[in-house]
Amino acid sequence: MSAAAVAVDGGDLTLSGGLLALVRPALLSMAPGGVLALRSSSPGVRQDLPSWCRMERHEYLGCEPQPDGRDRHLIRRGAFGVPRPTFAGVADADPHTGFAPAGALVEPGGPAYPVTLTHRDLALPPETRVLYDQAVAAQWDVADLAWDRVRPLPPAVESALVQIMTFLAENELSALYVPSKFVARLHPAFAETAMFLATQLMDEARHIDVFLRRAGGARGVSSVTTARSLLALLQLEDFTEAAFLLSVLGEGTFLDLLRFIEVHAPDEVTADLARRTRADEARHVHFGIAHVRHVLSVDPPAAGRLEAAVRRRSAALAGINGVPAPIQDALTILAAGGDEPARLNRGHEAFQQLLADMHEGRLKRLLHAGFTPAQAQVLSDLHTPNFM
Amino acid sequence: MGDAILLGAVAYDPKVVTIWEGIRDYFRGEGVDFDFALFSNYERQVEELLAGHIDIAWNTPLGHVRVQKRSGGQSRSLGMRDSDRDFHAKLIVRRDAEIRSPADLAGRTLAVGSRDSTQARILPLHFLRREGVDLDRVTLLPFDTDLGKHGDTGSSELDVLRAVADGRAHAGTVGDLVWVAEQAAGRVDAKLVEVLWTTPGFDHCMFDAMPSLGDAAVRAFQEALFRMSWEVPSHRRVLELEGLRQWLPPRETGYVSLRAALDEIEGW
Repeated sequence: MSAAAVAVDGGDLTLSGGLLALVRPALLSMAPGGVLALRSSSPGVRQDLPSWCRMERHEYLGCEPQPDGRDRHLIRRGAFGVPRPTFAGVADADPHTGFAPAGALVEPGGPAYPVTLTHRDLALPPETRVLYDQAVAAQWDVADLAWDRVRPLPPAVESALVQIMTFLAENELSALYVPSKFVARLHPAFAETAMFLATQLMDEARHIDVFLRRAGGARGVSSVTTARSLLALLQLEDFTEAAFLLSVLGEGTFLDLLRFIEVHAPDEVTADLARRTRADEARHVHFGIAHVRHVLSVDPPAAGRLEAAVRRRSAALAGINGVPAPIQDALTILAAGGDEPARLNRGHEAFQQLLADMHEGRLKRLLHAGFTPAQAQVLSDLHTPNFM
Repeated sequence: MGDAILLGAVAYDPKVVTIWEGIRDYFRGEGVDFDFALFSNYERQVEELLAGHIDIAWNTPLGHVRVQKRSGGQSRSLGMRDSDRDFHAKLIVRRDAEIRSPADLAGRTLAVGSRDSTQARILPLHFLRREGVDLDRVTLLPFDTDLGKHGDTGSSELDVLRAVADGRAHAGTVGDLVWVAEQAAGRVDAKLVEVLWTTPGFDHCMFDAMPSLGDAAVRAFQEALFRMSWEVPSHRRVLELEGLRQWLPPRETGYVSLRAALDEIEGW
């Protein structure tokens, strides 16, 4: 009897009656050149198996009658269509593996997918999996806030709050759109990054919802400064630059802004929403810092490219001086607790302190991301007056 | 333009345009000046090759042996598909027809494909005669569809399988690839029909050229052709449509039975 690596008992099944469900998986599991033995009592299989082997480019080696009257067919597995393993730890992912999950066996010859983020160092920052798990665990519901406790505010504070909520929602829309650009560019081997970004998108969607709900039926002003500043973010085409400008610098600065809103909130709901959104934003900032820090550690000259990106954006915003007036005034009134002249001085001082805190916070985060103190100083100074 | 290798193919299906535009683009990318012309039938294509209007014809086995005969053996065979080697035809029978061997076909109805289909008509009938079957005692149910396409469309083979399945015929002859592909796709009712007999092997399509195509052009054509790979996505698309995994060098041993069959039925 000839030797075979794998043996299958086909009973009396015909080729069209289910036999292939035994033969095909057995051959698929074998390396090219391996021999499969198939026992069969179906006479038609003698006719059909050689033809099927020809169609599938396996080699039909012949049929050995057995003492029990059954046939023992031998097939040598052909060389075509041998799936290749994909490796989870690969540095450069092959666009031809498409949406096959990491670790799947992939049949060669498939089309190349139009993904551009194929290099692990650029596509999968350390800690992504942990941050994804944290994000999933930390999801919250807009309905969790005590909306029924919202009471009418003094008109000046109410309109300041409407302006602030409008501004926050507008900026969060950019934080929804910008990462979404990169999801489809990520090689699916680094799907964890796409999954993390999905939580970020969900966070931003919830933030937009909660900010606009707090604004009630009213809306504030959208300034040209904000529009230009956010367009410069939306136009970024490099994932690392986007992570740096949006998450490290923009959302990082927003951490201080949300803290300011929480501290000066006129009611519990506003403080609560600022606290909750800030916790989400901190995760995004953490992701951005981990990304940039990793890129700088494997490719130190990237610091120059990131600085150039900040300079380009700054140049695009040239001529804009200072924080957009509607948001500056609203933050001042919020901190003052009203628009009476006696209070506004205190509000103005708080706003000045906010700008200083934002600068300090940016310096800390830039150092944490791997920039030198001198680089951090330059980059923080060049950051947009729009905060995000 | 004037120096391009001009290949003829028969437009038996809209996908033929996709196939040959894909191969033309591939050849040009490989530095081979190449173009193609489509014909509506193989008879016309053979005439145009013999007349020197095209350099190469992608021929069915019937076209291939006719070119060889008409050129007095001067034509050059350039290559074939892996799937063109060791073709067989199958005798499919109804389980309730009580046909235990080809000899039992006497007095029964046998569905057969187009009269110019090598695998569904010419060779299975030839081999059945060799097997001792008196075809004068068998009622043929012929499906002469797509004449001129030499069975390329496969439609007459599907007609044969339908006729056997619905009882218009007791048995039928089809090519092995159609038979196993239909089974693998789950479109055959194993309770109704089964395979009874397989013909000896024969070979199928061939690239035929006339001697006027120079050695350099032949070499350029063959080298580029044989470099096509199943694992290169753009090649694979074309190879799938044309029904092969790899192109192989020509061989002539697989056409002896077809010549004998054509002599027998005066089918040249």
